Amino acid sequence: MDPTIWLGTAFALFSIGIYCISKSNMIRILLGIEMILNAANFTFIYFAAQRAAAGYVDPLGQSFVFMSIVTGGCVVAVGLALIVNAYKHFETTDARELRRLKW
Amino acid sequence: MVIPTALYYMFAPMIMGVIGLLADKMKTPKLRDGVAILLSLWGVVSMWMLYNMGINAGEILVINIGGNPPLGACLEIDMMSLYFAATAVITSFLVTVYSFSYMDHDTRLTEYYALLSAITVGMTGVAFAGDLFTLFIFWEMMGIASYSLVSFRKDRPGPIEAGFKYMIMGSVGSVILLFGMAFIYGMAGSLNFAVLANTIRGAALTPWTIIIFSTLIVGFGVKSAIVPMHTWLPDAHPEAPSPISALLSGIVIETGLYAMIRVLFILYEPALFQLPMAILAFATMTLGNLLALRQDDLKRMLAYSSIAQMGYMLIGLSTGLAYGLMGTFLHVFNHAFMKGTAFLAVGSIDHMTGTRDINELRGVGRKMPFTTFSILISFLGLAGVPGTSGFISKFVLFSSAIGVGYVLLAVFGILNSTLSVAYYARVIMALMGDAPENAVEAKEAPPLMITVTLLMALVILVFGIFPESVTSYATLASNALIEGLSEYIGAIL
Repeated sequence: MDPTIWLGTAFALFSIGIYCISKSNMIRILLGIEMILNAANFTFIYFAAQRAAAGYVDPLGQSFVFMSIVTGGCVVAVGLALIVNAYKHFETTDARELRRLKW
Repeated sequence: MVIPTALYYMFAPMIMGVIGLLADKMKTPKLRDGVAILLSLWGVVSMWMLYNMGINAGEILVINIGGNPPLGACLEIDMMSLYFAATAVITSFLVTVYSFSYMDHDTRLTEYYALLSAITVGMTGVAFAGDLFTLFIFWEMMGIASYSLVSFRKDRPGPIEAGFKYMIMGSVGSVILLFGMAFIYGMAGSLNFAVLANTIRGAALTPWTIIIFSTLIVGFGVKSAIVPMHTWLPDAHPEAPSPISALLSGIVIETGLYAMIRVLFILYEPALFQLPMAILAFATMTLGNLLALRQDDLKRMLAYSSIAQMGYMLIGLSTGLAYGLMGTFLHVFNHAFMKGTAFLAVGSIDHMTGTRDINELRGVGRKMPFTTFSILISFLGLAGVPGTSGFISKFVLFSSAIGVGYVLLAVFGILNSTLSVAYYARVIMALMGDAPENAVEAKEAPPLMITVTLLMALVILVFGIFPESVTSYATLASNALIEGLSEYIGAIL
């Protein structure tokens, strides 16, 4: 397996995620975080597959990815709940409007 | 795989959730509050049981879960882990007792107590983790519970905004940490601390090790509010309910520091990270103190002061010696009590008067003498006045910096401590000054809240005058990290 393609894909996902975080829509920010998380998971999968011995990929990398998907799901749940509440208070999903707290 | 009885404390959040739901159905809210206090007391007892299981004699407890080390997860408990976990559960116990009185007007207390114990269990799990897998899971558990608790009062816009900011920054930090872990896994083929120490520690520096180093600094640094990554803290800590502020400032950010110390010492020789840590320490304490000067909100000022204290703790890490780390650990314990007292006492004022603005609180101190007394003691400790425990730990930190030749860092540390007196004195003068005509109504807080704050203030004074006991534990913890590193590795391999 060519590392350039795999790590390059992970890096591309990472860059798209960072780009999304720099935007102002709250849901887009949250999806950007998920994208970076998936880039990291992708890297894990690649390295686990690199360590394949006797036809099996390394189970440690795989199980870590499962657990990190679970925690990522929890973060999204909390994040979406916060966005819903923020929409109730500010009537917008634009993160730049949340500027009551400063300094 | 024999799990010690003491570790069943890890299930406390689930028990809290179930009992809380039952108590809600049976309409007996006091039962739920009592069970929450008992569960947090269970944590303290568990730490004492673990301490007596051979850790006091310098042994290391290894609990493998799901297979032997290069695969499965493991918990590895040495004196340093136990020191941090014990600080966490003691702070959490005091905070829970305080919440019994402070949160009595709030609803949704089942969620509150369950999340509170989830934070505590997350912190003990981070402290006990023996591999990066376990560390990450408990790290996220702590993080997700604290995002929810910061925005607990969701009917106001402030907590929602602060919680959203904290959630975004915290989860970006954890995700970057996950990236670093992926690279570590790619290099070493395992996530177990012992295997990592054998393969990566002492190896030649490559671009990959530098990338991993920076991801670790960013990942752990966001949660521990080290300066370029600190911007969430001054919003999140003031907007949380006061007991949660005390817990977040007192021990959650220090858990980030614990994880950073543990992983950095496992992966690298101290010579690599000494200078970066010294620079970060300087930036963190200076910026924290300077920004605290211009705050009118009491809790916001204390939040900036937490950033400054985190800078002092980094001084100990930058020395890379057992003595300096002893100062760091001592300051973690003392800071948990000092900032805990400060936040809880300010919480009492907020609870009784409904405002946290320093200018509006003029003269309130005379009506709330016990609360103001504990604020005074904690501020003296935070400024490092002799006779309080803050002096002991700052003395160790600054003298260790001079010992390794960072004289300038020690000088700036002392100057920063002097600067910090400016904003502490402003609060005390405002509280004790003459009340103006339109002063806010105030009366002394409920007895339970006074008891907790006075007890914590007493601890600050007692450990300032008789520091031997806590100093000896901190010495054991730092020796377990520096000199016991080979035993820590050998306990698994």
